[in-house]
Amino acid sequence: MNDIEQLLRQAQVELAGATTSGDIAAVEARYLGSKGTIQALLKTIGSLPLEQRPTFGARVNEAKAALTRMVAERRAFVEAEELRQRLASEAVDVTLPGLPVPCGRLHPLSATVRRIKEVLIGLGFEFVDGPELEDYEHNFEALNYPEEHPAFDEQMTFYVDDSRLLRTQTTSIQGRVMCQRRPPFRIATTGRCFRYEAVDATHHHTFHQVDVFMADEGISLADLKGILRCFASAMFGEDVQVRFRPDYFPFVEPGVDYSILWHGRWLELGGAGLIHPNILEHYGIDSERYTGFAFGLGVERIHMIRHGVTDLRNYLDNDIRFLSCF
Amino acid sequence: MKVPVEWIREFAPVEMSADQIADRLTMAGLEVEASEESDVGIVLDIKVTPNRGDCLSVLGLARELAASCRIQFRGRQVVPSSADEPPDAAAYTAVTIEAPDLCPRYAARVVEDLRIGESPAWIQDRLAAAGMRPISNVVDITNYVMLETGQPLHAFDYDTLTERRIVVRRARNGEVLTTLDGVERLLNNDMLVIADARRPVALAGIMGGAETEITERTRTLLLESAHFDRRCIRRTARTLALNTEASYRFERIVDPEGVVYAADLACKLIEELGAGRPVMGVVDVYPGRRELRSVVLRLSRCRLLMGYEPSAEDVTQALERLGFGLVQVDAGVWEVRPPSWRPDIVREVDVVEEVARVLGYDRIPERLMTGLTTRGTDTEEARFRDAVRDNLIGAGLQEVVCHTLMAPSDLDDPSPETQRVAIRSALSAELSGLRRSLIPGLCDVASRNARRGLGPLAFFEVGPVFAVTRDGTYLERDAVAGLVSGRTTPRSWHKLTAEVTPFYVGKGLVERISGQWKLELRFQPSDDPRLHPTRQAAVTLDGHRIGVVGELHPAKHADLHLRERCVVFELLLEPLRLAAGVARPTPAQLSKYPSVARDLAPRVPMDVPYEDVRARVEEVAGEWLAELTLVDVFSGPPLPEGTRSFTLSLVFRAGDRTLTDADVDGVVDRMRERLKSELGATFQEAG
Repeated sequence: MNDIEQLLRQAQVELAGATTSGDIAAVEARYLGSKGTIQALLKTIGSLPLEQRPTFGARVNEAKAALTRMVAERRAFVEAEELRQRLASEAVDVTLPGLPVPCGRLHPLSATVRRIKEVLIGLGFEFVDGPELEDYEHNFEALNYPEEHPAFDEQMTFYVDDSRLLRTQTTSIQGRVMCQRRPPFRIATTGRCFRYEAVDATHHHTFHQVDVFMADEGISLADLKGILRCFASAMFGEDVQVRFRPDYFPFVEPGVDYSILWHGRWLELGGAGLIHPNILEHYGIDSERYTGFAFGLGVERIHMIRHGVTDLRNYLDNDIRFLSCF
Repeated sequence: MKVPVEWIREFAPVEMSADQIADRLTMAGLEVEASEESDVGIVLDIKVTPNRGDCLSVLGLARELAASCRIQFRGRQVVPSSADEPPDAAAYTAVTIEAPDLCPRYAARVVEDLRIGESPAWIQDRLAAAGMRPISNVVDITNYVMLETGQPLHAFDYDTLTERRIVVRRARNGEVLTTLDGVERLLNNDMLVIADARRPVALAGIMGGAETEITERTRTLLLESAHFDRRCIRRTARTLALNTEASYRFERIVDPEGVVYAADLACKLIEELGAGRPVMGVVDVYPGRRELRSVVLRLSRCRLLMGYEPSAEDVTQALERLGFGLVQVDAGVWEVRPPSWRPDIVREVDVVEEVARVLGYDRIPERLMTGLTTRGTDTEEARFRDAVRDNLIGAGLQEVVCHTLMAPSDLDDPSPETQRVAIRSALSAELSGLRRSLIPGLCDVASRNARRGLGPLAFFEVGPVFAVTRDGTYLERDAVAGLVSGRTTPRSWHKLTAEVTPFYVGKGLVERISGQWKLELRFQPSDDPRLHPTRQAAVTLDGHRIGVVGELHPAKHADLHLRERCVVFELLLEPLRLAAGVARPTPAQLSKYPSVARDLAPRVPMDVPYEDVRARVEEVAGEWLAELTLVDVFSGPPLPEGTRSFTLSLVFRAGDRTLTDADVDGVVDRMRERLKSELGATFQEAG
């Protein structure tokens, strides 16, 4: 009997000295293996007196179970320790830079156009595209520009020939829409425009505009003010205020110049007004029944205000340092 | 227009500071862009919109200010010239208008006993404040009256006029006039001149002639106050590149009814200042008198357009203060007669704007439109452009936006079928035409960033390119182009050293785009002179060429300051978009059976393009082929010279059963046989 207890104590000592999973496997084989101590003890059972056999057998089996448990416990401990050591040895310097995965970005003008579209599409506006290489008819004539009028002086134009030019304003889309659509409609467009301008921090011969217009029954300057407030809030924050001043554009009457109150200052954003009845009538739309508004503004201007950019030239210069700011 | 505030106050006696006046004018649509101190107090610089020529005058501005402040406008009292007492002006001169379409009215007065000298300080100071140079008492008075009334005047030396009479006529082609600025002007039949009996003496409405100019010796003057056709003045001023204070006003609005008033005011000032003795009477020829039109104004229309209902009293007072005549014809309906200085008021809506303006745009409420809800959408073209942008951003490229206008460039599209769209009378090479390709812009961006020592140089642009075809059709087509120069794996301490041939970097980007929409592109060697002759490919889709990919010709690198090789690609978007719409696969039933993998490694002669191998393998594999990946290309020992091997990793899967080894081996054997017989491929014997 003492042999078995001795055996268990011995095994306990050996297991305590086993510090690797290999050591444990060796101890396990020595005691529990097919040629191990327990098997050897079981083989001695036949040599015992008959009446002692059950007791002895039971004690050996208990010892076997105890040994199995001891091995498992020790193994779990040692393996955990081994894992801990292995993981400890795998430590990285978390401050070293990660694997560089290049990050592409939208140009700030594209990103701004996306935001503009998101807002206006949410308000039920349908975006359309118009050509940059426009005809005189759509850029001026259809927009109620009087012949030989000083209004042209504000739009020094790049002409390709007598009838073809680079659009000076995205408003040129109005005629393209109205010749095939009847009210009610809500239309918006965005794109590039061109005017002869000496290039400086606030002027460029190439710039981007958004143009928005709608026609329906009963549309007034109040609807225009409402939508501009809504649009400006979405672009610049809930607390902006919109201010109207009279202004002149041949294609609207009454004409409006609108500003927003931004950080305590009034900033001019663009031109607006009610669509001139001459234009509606030109396209066979009953101007007594239908009225509409139109407004336009610069994409660059929106981005400049939102991000505090002070030089318009940055947008077409494409310096990586500038582009990566947004 | 620059105006001293005190001058405006003379006619609009408001009790307001200059800042408040500036604010009122601005809110009335006459934007005060600057205000500055001067000898005559605060001077406002006012931007007058092209439709409001009547406000290019102190009187016009004062009228607006008075109306928006709801006070009475106070005009000057000038005794009109009369012919009661002889001698009358008609005894001194005669006016003939031969072109009444271009000159609806011409008035002349005569001043005798002229004493030319300096004008008094108060006139000189006001002129200087308005940005005009004092010259002499008579000239200063004509300018003073122009600033006050908006009516340009001109003074002739009466004695230099042949037969002392005025003829208003079209210039004759080839006629010459030396204007006051000493420049000899060649005239033509589209221009209007003031002539005497013999020759032109002034360019009507723009500038007088040198020979009839007022001098210190002038004893008698003929004062012109006239009205001219604005289109004619504008055309002539533009043709001669001669813009003056007079032409600026005549191009816009001058009040035809104010012609004689201005002449009388000038004569009054000349007399008061002792500069001369005006002869009584005026010669006033007025063939173009127009009936003032009237417009019906409805209160209901004001409400509809303004978004609120003003009171009838507000409406009538606002308009009367601006000089409009009103007759009520019904409740809330008026017949409105705009004043003679407002030819811009033509329709009811124009009158509504006047009402809204005078009552203040601040009174317009805010409202969100109601009515039929419309569906907000973007165009398919725009969505596709955005999807392509997202694709390339995901690949790590920076989007750029480059100039549409550019100088001719050997990096532009060289295709001989089309030509560059040129700008007529371009002012500089940079603005002389439209890009046919996005590649020059990208190269320019890469070059500028490289010179600044910046990187990585990996850019793309999505935008239109332009061309004109041989038959004169103008093309404006959306394209996408990309550029990568230098390392494709960013420099780092991680040991990622394998650099890829730049051509394949560009091709990979093209395939990333086509792959997103599962489009089959073909790449064939091409001969674009911008590109490396043996490292470029034409890209075709369904047999149509849609673009190009290739390494930039090494000769271009130095010009662009690029140290490393550079690959570019450019594709037209519309064919891709249309094909993407068609090729969109329907989601197949996903097979639940396991796959079987095999490698195939044919050795083929060096001149056999990979495409020949791939196409045959795919054809033989049929619908069981789930994946085909080229995992290695090898040449050199131990392979015989002039051969290379491809290692293709193939994955097979059937939709209806588990494939057996025998199934797949049979397919692979057929592939081997096909490649052997058609391409001369050999295979290393298994073992």
